[in-house]
Amino acid sequence: MSRVRLPTRGRDWRLMARTARLVVTIPLYAVVTLVGAFFGLTLFVFSLNPDLVGFALFSGSLPLANQLALLSGLYPFVSESFDLLTGSVLVLIALLFGVDIAMVTYHLREHDLSVRQGSSGVAGLILGTLGAGCAACGSVLIVGILSLFGISVSLTFLPLDGLEFALLAFVTLLLSIYWIAEGMRGGEINGCPVDF
Amino acid sequence: MNRRRFLTGTAITGLTALAGCLGSAGDTGPTDGGGDGGGEMHPALGNVDVQPVLGSADQEALIVAYEDPSCSTCRRFEQNTLPELKAKHIDTGNVAFAFRVYPIIYPWGKPAVQALEATYARDEDAFWSLKDHYYADQPSFSEANVLEKTEQFLAAETDLDAAAVAQDARDKAYDDAVQLDLDSGKAAGASATPTFYLFLDGELQTSVQGAQDVRVFENALQL
Repeated sequence: MSRVRLPTRGRDWRLMARTARLVVTIPLYAVVTLVGAFFGLTLFVFSLNPDLVGFALFSGSLPLANQLALLSGLYPFVSESFDLLTGSVLVLIALLFGVDIAMVTYHLREHDLSVRQGSSGVAGLILGTLGAGCAACGSVLIVGILSLFGISVSLTFLPLDGLEFALLAFVTLLLSIYWIAEGMRGGEINGCPVDF
Repeated sequence: MNRRRFLTGTAITGLTALAGCLGSAGDTGPTDGGGDGGGEMHPALGNVDVQPVLGSADQEALIVAYEDPSCSTCRRFEQNTLPELKAKHIDTGNVAFAFRVYPIIYPWGKPAVQALEATYARDEDAFWSLKDHYYADQPSFSEANVLEKTEQFLAAETDLDAAAVAQDARDKAYDDAVQLDLDSGKAAGASATPTFYLFLDGELQTSVQGAQDVRVFENALQL
């Protein structure tokens, strides 16, 4: 039984940064990173307004221009849907999400590993998605979960108004990237062996 | 604990979180606006005629907002979106905006909405002023000081008997009005603030959560 390894040393962080850089500078994986980041961000913001997204996509009563404007207006910085801090955190998490996807894809394809061997990255992605998807809706999340148990809700115990969940996703994605990088140690990426 | 067990545990936690997130966000309650002949009236429209409304309540387009004075996201909507929505569409008669209290975020929101209802029962203009005051000075309020500061504001800025309003808020003299909003919000499926229900001719178009841009309302209601 192996114990959980955490990036506690400087060389762990250097390994993560170097491995991620080597992967995302390969053109194919740069595209995977960007597509993954966009997919992640879309998942995050759409999950906050499923009724509105459903209305935009399926109501049948809206002109195409209105549909596109409604959907695009849900993204950070396209409109004022999010404040600067929350929007920045969401975009940052989406980028990490994209890097994580690119690294998992590289790990699975280039090292000919099974999905099971790459499961730490996949699990990290799932958790990252869940956490980030709830990032801007602390009240929704807390009310939703606790109301299942009939608990009256106050957010006094969340000093960041729910941004705590985004930070949890951030940490989880970093751990996922670290574990993938650690698993790729000794492999050759972009002609460069990754080892410290 | 090995890595796989750790990940399994955290993934389950995350799935639970998503269930709560999607469950509450997606559970928007009845979507029948009541305009289909025979359907029940949407809960957000219940007693809307006795709510504070900007614009004429009989407008074709109506936005019903559930807000908590202590909610920071509501504050962003009130300060960033509502002024533009008011200037472009409410004041020009395109849309009406009904305000319903929904104190579910911080504890001081509960006495604040009691004071709002007590104020609205006396004077609608004072109600809108007090509501704006709560959002403008939001960080300064707490459960301990909200009614004291409310009394000071009403005494300084309105002709109302500020002490009587504060006392009514302490006594929850207008709790029926608060409960009316809470019950309708729960029935509509509002689980966060702000939540907006957008109607055209009494028929629900969609619900909207968060401090969305004015363009979201314009595009959804085809304003």
